[in-house]
Order: sequence, then C-alpha cells, then structure tokens
Amino acid sequence: MSAAFDDSSDEQQLYAADPEWADVVPLQQYEGVDPIAPIFYSEEYKDATDYFRGIVKTGEMSPKVLKLTEHIIRMNPAHYSAWQYRYKTLIALNSPLKAELELMDNFAIQFLKTYQVWHHRRLLLGALRSVDVAVRELAFVTRTLRTDTKNYHTWSYRQWILAHFNDEARLWPGELPWVEELLEEDVRNNSAWHHRFFVVWQSGVRRDEVDREEVLRRELAFTKEKISLAPNNQSAWNYLRGVLDHTHTPYASLTSFVQPYTVGAPSDPEDSIVDLENPRPSAGAELPSLPALEFLADIYEAEGGDGISKAVRIWKSLADEHDTIRKKYWEYRIKDALHGAQ
Amino acid sequence: MTSSEPTTSDQLRPTPTDGYPSPTSRLQTATEDILRAHQPSAGTPPILNRNLHIQYLLRNLQQGFPERYTSQDASQTWLLFWTLQGFSTLGIGLDDRTKQRRAPSIDTLLAAQHPEGGFGGGPGQLAHQLPTFAAVSALAIAGRPGPGGGWDEIDRAKMYTWFLSLKQPDGSFKVSHDGEVDVRGLYCLLVCATLLNILTPELLAGVPEFLASCQTYEGGFGSASFGEWAFREDGHAPDYSAPRPTLGEAHGGYTYCATAAWALVQPYLRLYYAPTPAGPKPAPTISMRGLARWYATMQGGRAELGGLRGRTNKLVDGCYAWWVGGGAAVVAGMLKEQEDARAGAEELQEGAEAQNEGWEDEEVDDSLLNRPALQQYVLCAAQHPAGGLRDKPPKHADAYHTLYCLSGLSAAQHRVVPNASRRATLRSSWDADKARSMEGSATASSSDGEQSLLDELRRESFVSALSWLEEEGTEQYVGGAVNRVNATHPLFDLTVTHAEGIMAHFYGQTLPVRRPQPRPRNKPADA
Repeated sequence: MSAAFDDSSDEQQLYAADPEWADVVPLQQYEGVDPIAPIFYSEEYKDATDYFRGIVKTGEMSPKVLKLTEHIIRMNPAHYSAWQYRYKTLIALNSPLKAELELMDNFAIQFLKTYQVWHHRRLLLGALRSVDVAVRELAFVTRTLRTDTKNYHTWSYRQWILAHFNDEARLWPGELPWVEELLEEDVRNNSAWHHRFFVVWQSGVRRDEVDREEVLRRELAFTKEKISLAPNNQSAWNYLRGVLDHTHTPYASLTSFVQPYTVGAPSDPEDSIVDLENPRPSAGAELPSLPALEFLADIYEAEGGDGISKAVRIWKSLADEHDTIRKKYWEYRIKDALHGAQ
Repeated sequence: MTSSEPTTSDQLRPTPTDGYPSPTSRLQTATEDILRAHQPSAGTPPILNRNLHIQYLLRNLQQGFPERYTSQDASQTWLLFWTLQGFSTLGIGLDDRTKQRRAPSIDTLLAAQHPEGGFGGGPGQLAHQLPTFAAVSALAIAGRPGPGGGWDEIDRAKMYTWFLSLKQPDGSFKVSHDGEVDVRGLYCLLVCATLLNILTPELLAGVPEFLASCQTYEGGFGSASFGEWAFREDGHAPDYSAPRPTLGEAHGGYTYCATAAWALVQPYLRLYYAPTPAGPKPAPTISMRGLARWYATMQGGRAELGGLRGRTNKLVDGCYAWWVGGGAAVVAGMLKEQEDARAGAEELQEGAEAQNEGWEDEEVDDSLLNRPALQQYVLCAAQHPAGGLRDKPPKHADAYHTLYCLSGLSAAQHRVVPNASRRATLRSSWDADKARSMEGSATASSSDGEQSLLDELRRESFVSALSWLEEEGTEQYVGGAVNRVNATHPLFDLTVTHAEGIMAHFYGQTLPVRRPQPRPRNKPADA
C-alpha cells in the first residue's frame, strides 16, 4: 500500500535512527509469540508502528506524536488506534483544530473509502462547535461527492452535520436544490434519493414546509415526473413507496398514474389527454415496468376480496414471466396474501 | 443444476435503461457486458475449485500476507477469522491439513486482547467491537476449554465493563473509545455477549429501539440513526417523540448486521416488554415485510448471474452473497418461526397432531432469494482462476471476499432455520444453575424477581441461538454435490457445531444429541 503515498516520504528516515526519538522505547508487535499468518510490513511501517506502540505505552502526548500518527495514517488510513491517539493528542495539546481539518481535506480525498477519515472530521466538528465550520464542511462534502457520488461515509457524514448543527437558516436551505441537481445528473443515484427522504421527511419540518399536504403533493409530483423519465428506476419507486408509507397515504390513490406503466407498450400518445398530475411513460420506456407491476399488485392486495385474485395474477406473471429470478419471493407474496385472506 | 431453467422473456434481459441512460445505468450495462462472458455454458456444470481455494487459504495461513495487506494491519483478527472460517466452510478442520496451526492461532488471537477488555485489530491496538467479534469467532473455531485453549483466557468481565463504557444514551454503542456508532458494532457486541454468556438487560437497554430506528423507507437498514434530538446529553429526560433519522441509505452490510441483531434481541423483547406492574412497555417493531422485500430486490437479474447487490441501483458483488444472502436466510428463519408458532397454535386449538408435523401443508423452501442463481454467481463469476474468490471479474481475490463468497454459497446451498423440536429439547435439558454459575459479566446480583427474569433471558438466548439447524433434504447444489460446502449458522457465520461448542462451554451445558431432521415431504424444485 505504501507505494501510493510515496510523495509524502522519499527515503523516510527510520525513527530508530532519529535522535528526536531516542527517548522512546519502541515496542515490537509480538513479544514471545510467533504469530500465525503475519503481514509482511515494510521496514518503514514496522519502525513507525513500533514507536507508536512505545508511545501508547507511556501515554506521551506531544507534537512529535502528531507527526508520527500522520505518518502511520498515510501508510495505513484504517489504523483506527493511530487516529484515536491523534485526536486525544490534538485535544490535550489544545492544537488548532481548524488547521487539522484543512490537513484532513487532502486525506479525505485520498482515502475516501475509510471510516476513520470521516469519523475524525466528525470528532473535530463536534469539538469546534461552529456553524461556520459546518457550512464550510457541507461545501467540502459537495465537492467530494462530485468524484464519488455514492460514497456511503460521505453521505452519512453530511446527514450528521445537518442534524447535529440543525441550523435552519444556514444549513438546511441548500439541500433540496442540491439533491435535485444530483438527480438531474443521475436519476438512479439512490444515495441522493435517500438524502431527499432524510431532508424532507425524517429531520423535522423546515420553516417553509409547514404545510405537509403541500409537501406531499410536491414530492408526489416530483417523483412521478422522475418515474416517467425512467420507469424501471427502482430508486424512484422506492422513494414513492416511502413517501406513501410515511404519510399513510393509500397506494390506491395512485392507481391512474401507475396503470399505463403496467401494460406491454406505451399507449398511443394520440389518444391520451395530457394529464399533468399523471405523467405517462416516456417514449423510450421499456414496459411493463416491473416496479409498476409490483405497485399495482400491492394496490389490489390492499383492496382485499376480489382484489387478492387480481394481485395473485400479477404476482404469477412476475414469477413465471417478467421477473423469474424472484420467483420464490413472488410465491411468498402469493402465499402470504392467501393466508391473510382466510 | 439438475434440471435446465425454463426459457422466459426475462432470460438474460439486460437491465432496462428506458432510453434514458445515466452514470448508474452506464456502469450497470458495462458490468453486464463483462458478466456475459461468465454465463454458465449449457451442458457444463459449474465446478467449485475447492483445492485451489484451500491452497489459497493455506498459503495465507502458512506464509502470511504480502505487504499490500498492511491496510489490514488493524484487522489482523479478521484475517484469521476469514481464513479459519474459510477452512470450516470448505470442510477442513484445524486438525487435518492445518495441523500444528491451532496453538499459534490461539496465541496470535490472544495477543490482540486489550488489558482493559475487548480485542484490538492486533497487539497494542485499541479495543474495538469489530476485531473483538472476529477474535471471539476465530476462537470459537480454533479454541477449546482449559489452559492454553483460548476460551478461558478471554477476560469476559473486563469485556463486559468495556462494552458498557461504550454505551450511548440512545441504546447504541460506539465501536471503540472515541469511535463511531453503527449497527455493525452493535451486531458484533451482541454476538460476543451471546456466545460468551454476558448478555444482560443493562447491555440491551434501548437496543431494540435503536435497531428499529435504523430501518429506512426502503426496508433495509442504514448505518445508524441520529439520536441527539431524542436523547440529550444535558441530563434531560429523553424526548421519545423526537425524530431519529437514519444516517445513510439501506445497505447490505448494515442490513445483515441489523437483521441478525434483531433476531438476537428477540428473547429480550419477549421477556422484558411484556406488561409490567408499572404498565406495559411498548415493544418497538420493524417492518418484516419491508425487510423481506428489500432483500428480494437486491438480487440481480440473469444478466448479472443472479448475484446480489448491496444497495438499490448499485452493482452486484460477491461479498453480498453473504451479507444479503445470509441476512435473507435470517429473515426466512424468523418467518418460519412465526409460521411454526401459528401452526402450533392452530394444532393446540384442534387438539390434534404430534409435534413436527406443522410444516406438512406448507411450502418447504420458502426462501426469499433464488438460491440456485446465487450459487451460479459465486461459481461462475466470483471464483478467481488462480484460487480465492472475489467481488467480480476481472478483480483479484482477497481474504475478505474469499470467505464471504463461500459463506454466501453455503447460505444458498443449505437452509438453516429455527427448529421447534430442537428448541423444546434444549429447553428441557437446560441446567439453570450451571448457566448462572458460568455467567461472565460478574455484575452484582439483583433482586430475586430480576434474577429469575435474567435466568430466563439467559436460557432463551441460548436456546434460540442453538435452535437453528439445517433442515435436511432442503439442500440444493448447483453443479452437483461435489460443490457442497458446509452449512453455516445464519446469525454467526460459524458452523452450527462451532457455535454449539463455544456456547455449551460458556453456559455450562451438556448438549443433547442432535438427531437428523425429518426430510420434508415435498422435494423443492431445482430452480
């Protein structure tokens, strides 16, 4: 792994040969144990972690510990103990945390996928207690997500910032327009859909969203529009279901929207009246849309009575024809519905 | 497969793009193009390259890991768990081809134990829930009772104290001091506490509520929820009406952890949420239906060889064969348990029928996933030609994917579910005094009423974990029995035998002999 970070250390001098470190007793990883399945570390890594273990043992917290932990983290960003010790040292030394955050910008981009990179930032933000810094962080996260639009840690970090600082005027207002931009770029980005749910439904009520009926109408219109562009996009259908479940709105209220997506081919546009509330599948739509079929079956099942047999007919068509990979699941739905109907 | 799959309209149908491509659909299409070359060819059954994988694991165990594994330096106990459990899945015990590896494995694992409790990723590292889980699980495989056996060297009292020191006001736990909160860490903690007999109501307080708050609108679970609005640090009483939004979308890894954790807290839910003199404590609920649906939607189409993805609109990856395949097996087991309970209640009403016949009218294989298709993905796409398993072609194999592809293959071959008659047998042979004397948290004794409830929690946790058994006759082997791997316990990813061994020890129980389970009447279809 170290090859990737060589820019930070050409011919790094070993701590063992550094007079500044002469007062620290390095500690071997395994003493008296012949480890099975050992990792073949580089000399540089072994030396640095030997000194790290020595430091942990004495509990020293000094500026040189910051250098050492940075060096280890650059070689192995998943070394959570080095991160934690670094954080404790920063606090103990009363180090400028904003400077640390800036140093971290470069780390985050290099080591996007490690937990610790993001968690360290969270600790720093918690200690800094500044909305200004939170605003800066949102901008940083926006930039980062441009290169990796679905990075899990980055997204949950953003959500934590919003919830923790919870600043109505400075943090929340930009979220919805930004999500819309992201969905404009990639309507199938499920992380962006989840973020929309987090912002609109899960995190309290924004000042200008007090009229929940209106918010529901807006969200349904938005989602239907996105579904019409790409009717097989599971993310949009899941969001639609989520909104309906969350607001206890019956799926049946969308029957006329869903129907055209469940038939074999787009209906002749000539005979369809343009209905803004119920946008029709786009010209390129591959129909029937499986999520639409599933949705319609759920409407029928909720109806009960004759609805059940209509639902069963759809599930059978999914099991035997349209979605045979999930045959077992559709059979489970049939069994479950029939059992419940007894 | 013993019979050919029916030709249908969705055979190899590429994932639809609706004439509206986006970055996600482009990546999806490119991946399907790669996977197309790995579709099984008609007439040639796919083969598990068992010996190559054993060689791969042996090389790691005996020669160690190359320098690029420095990134796993904080996961050394995981490297051992992945390797040892890989051997177990392939049917290799530590005493045959890996002989003389038992003692060094135990020593290496114990060297990672932290003096203040729990295990770090390696010696001298901070204790952390994840490597603790890996160390305990690896010791379940390699260890045994007695001096030097590893089990009795686990400092359970200190581990318990350390667990409690990580507990948060909302019921969740940090993974380490100054670490993050998430459901992975919680799952790891619950497994350790269950295996080691240190599960207490104090530890479990608020855990079901926290878990429930991590289920997203998609039905799967996200990493954690945000608890600060409901649980304030200034000592005020919690505001249970405050929102607890989920951080991060539904994800295969977190969903596995939350699902298995939910199964592990069932005894606590049943015992401690019943009406109390102070009034009933409302039990939190999750949507099992939503969860079952989420698991089912994670299976890719035939163009993706039926592999599993970890999030909506993401790519299939061999490791989700376990996280999603194993999680779906947990749900299938929980659904079966409900079914058994319902059938049992009906039988009682009718005053008829002997035990063990409740399943007769039921569909035998009520798995949520297409098990043969998942096997195909592992066998055709996830095996690296040089040994070891991987995410997808053309990637390299690694220790992590090798285990989770094999565990997923196992979950797809075998059906391991709670067994009502085993549950009854375990209950009747339960020795409460021994179990209490072996309890490891060393917490102060409480009132008689609390003590007897705790006894019940201990018994039910033990019984319910060990009631999961393979249902004989439901195994399905794509490519034939030659590809068989061992069954794995869906809650632990250990063989049932290893789970039994370590739990019998720490609960001081002698396990009744397992009898072969009855063969169901209806042989399941092949595809």
